Amino acid sequence: MTGLIWRGMFVNRFVALLAVAAVVAISAGALSANALRDPEAPPDARQQGASATPASVEELGHVLFYDNRLSGDASISCASCHAPETAWTDGQSLSAGYRSTLHFRNTPTILNAGRMERLDWDGRFAAGDMDSLVRDHIAEAHFMNIDGRLLVERMKQVPVYEEAFQRLYGSEVSYGKVLNALSSFVSSKNSVNHPYLRHLEGDESGLDSQEQAGLELFQGKAGCAACHSGELLSDGGMHAIGAPDNPEIFSDPLRHITFRRFMRLQGVPEYVSLRSDPGLYAVTNDEADRGRFRTPSLLEAGRTAPYMHNGVFADLEAVVRFYNDGGGEGENIAPELKPLGLTDAEIDSLVAFLSALGSDEEPAAPPESPPYELRTLGSN
Amino acid sequence: MTIFDRNFFAFTIIMVVAVAGFVALFAVAGIGIRDDTARQAAPAGEAPADAATEIPSRDELRAMGLGPLPPVTMPADNPASEAKVELGKLLFFDPRMSGDGAVSCATCHGATLGWGDGNALSLGYPGTLHWRNSQTIINSAYHPKLFWGGESKSLEAQAKSAFTGNVAGNLDPVMAEERLRQMPEYVRRFNEVFGADSPSFDDALRAVAAFEATIVSRNVPFDRYMDGDDSAMPEPALRGLGLFVGKAGCVECHGGPLFTDQSFHNTGVPPNAEFETSVLRQITLRYQHRARGVPESVYRSADRDLGLYYTTKQEVDKGKFRTPTVREVGQTGPYMHNGVFKTLPEVVDFYDRGGGDDPGKDPLLRPLGLSQQEKDDIVEFLLSLTGEAIIVDPPDLPEYEVLP
Repeated sequence: MTGLIWRGMFVNRFVALLAVAAVVAISAGALSANALRDPEAPPDARQQGASATPASVEELGHVLFYDNRLSGDASISCASCHAPETAWTDGQSLSAGYRSTLHFRNTPTILNAGRMERLDWDGRFAAGDMDSLVRDHIAEAHFMNIDGRLLVERMKQVPVYEEAFQRLYGSEVSYGKVLNALSSFVSSKNSVNHPYLRHLEGDESGLDSQEQAGLELFQGKAGCAACHSGELLSDGGMHAIGAPDNPEIFSDPLRHITFRRFMRLQGVPEYVSLRSDPGLYAVTNDEADRGRFRTPSLLEAGRTAPYMHNGVFADLEAVVRFYNDGGGEGENIAPELKPLGLTDAEIDSLVAFLSALGSDEEPAAPPESPPYELRTLGSN
Repeated sequence: MTIFDRNFFAFTIIMVVAVAGFVALFAVAGIGIRDDTARQAAPAGEAPADAATEIPSRDELRAMGLGPLPPVTMPADNPASEAKVELGKLLFFDPRMSGDGAVSCATCHGATLGWGDGNALSLGYPGTLHWRNSQTIINSAYHPKLFWGGESKSLEAQAKSAFTGNVAGNLDPVMAEERLRQMPEYVRRFNEVFGADSPSFDDALRAVAAFEATIVSRNVPFDRYMDGDDSAMPEPALRGLGLFVGKAGCVECHGGPLFTDQSFHNTGVPPNAEFETSVLRQITLRYQHRARGVPESVYRSADRDLGLYYTTKQEVDKGKFRTPTVREVGQTGPYMHNGVFKTLPEVVDFYDRGGGDDPGKDPLLRPLGLSQQEKDDIVEFLLSLTGEAIIVDPPDLPEYEVLP
């Protein structure tokens, strides 16, 4: 009996809350989701776990980022390759990809991606166009391989998402909103609690003396800062440095398939015979761009091995020695590259500095994906 | 007037008796002519519950268009060859012809399951559940339109939709081509069959179609009976045949050598309750409405498969589905577009009741007033349209190789 009364009270309160919420949401447009929740409401699927009721677009994106149902066969999520434990990468030389496919490039971290001049190794997405990058990754046959219409209907089968999209966007779930929520989350991820950034702010505990020596070489004798400049330690440019090819791309049939398909769809005429990743050339079809790749930010360099677009270097020392030798061979090589003449001690210092670059991030527990629930047939 | 009218029937019988006289004369003269005399179901042992069912003669059945299937005709741009069929078989069984390499055509069209998947509603791509019953491949080459809603006009087009459909194969055609190109044996076979430098998705569709066109039922008991083998069909099946073309009127839609009018009818098939209880089926149902571009209001209220409507967008076509062949029906259950009937007796009961309850139901359907014996006989006849399982062993598949 008391339960019934309580339930009735809850319903009334809920209706009242809804009305209030609508008014507040429209007038203020910035209402915390927590205020919408009745703390004494009976627990149900909508109330499980902090992440199950995303309070912001970024939080919603965080939950979606971990949801396997965003891939065609519901087997992988964004986090499958961009895991916080490995600095939002997969820690592999070359990325995996959709089941039964393998990728031909290294997984970049999502940290600071929203502030980069260009997105992805070949820079095929412009700065700020994170929605397109996310769409590419969700839709592509070698990434998550899901049809947008199917994705939307899956989202509509999850009441937590339905409610969240309504509340956060003011209308029902759509493909564009899913992309937006994900890109908002990705763009919100920046380096935090970072020794180098602390050092820049004058915190002497940021870098030790060897690391500081490395920083001086980075900015001076080694000339790294010529391209790895600015706050992100990247000039946002596209450079050919002659990184060696990763033979695995062509000795592993699954990687070669993905490589060939990608180059073909980019309109590279020689995609069948190509045995080297042409980088920006695939985007522009300009010979002057062959071999050019985006200068990666080094802010997370200490945590994001292996290195280069094809993960060909296992550790930072290999990278430093590569540049010390004047980089690699190939077309359009950046003129800045020349032998550096660094001593072993200098190399150690430089490696120490680069190794210190990384957020001291406490990986949050992965959010649980809210469950599918049955809908009333014909009420779509 | 139809050929089922009583007057016509009586007239026919008189004619046939006359013909029989001639036949008897020829037989005496030693000229081999098959016995095509009209028959009545002889009450052997115990009599059927109702008055004896009239069983048309073979000539009459032929006149109705019933008989063995003609040879398959392939489209002009896809002539069959042994090598093409063999290539198509490889592709049919190759799971790499799906997005995540997990399912092949054979996953939902299995030889031991009557070339369907044996489920009421098909499995579909991993992470999804399909919304329709998986249709048999057997005799599919005879259909001018494929799928329950007649969405495809050729086997080749059907294969394309099945490979690429997001709840079926979810395969990107360019991915398919590059996968095939990574297997020198496929490259060699495509070259041999099509003369092309490298495998193309369209040629893969042609090869699969050519293979499917070889999955044909031959010499089912009914065919042997029509060929003169009186022992091919037992007495109950013959009575069922009489009912099928007579009192029950099945042949009005299930006519011709394939036992289908190749048309679309609303029979008021009841809904499959699984759409009330399966989240994945609900997702697929709504997705299909979106994917087929129905008006917003139709999407919003979508609660069932609308069949032919998706292709025509005509209100009158809502709930119409392709008349399936009843050849091999003994091995292709469950039945109907949504697999709602598990057994043939359920199907026969359904039509005996005059079909289902739907405002758009075909007026051809009316209560039939069949006795239990008659219904059993019809089922016996349907089983006489079913032959042995057509078994094709899964082939050894080509392997990926490192390309020079």
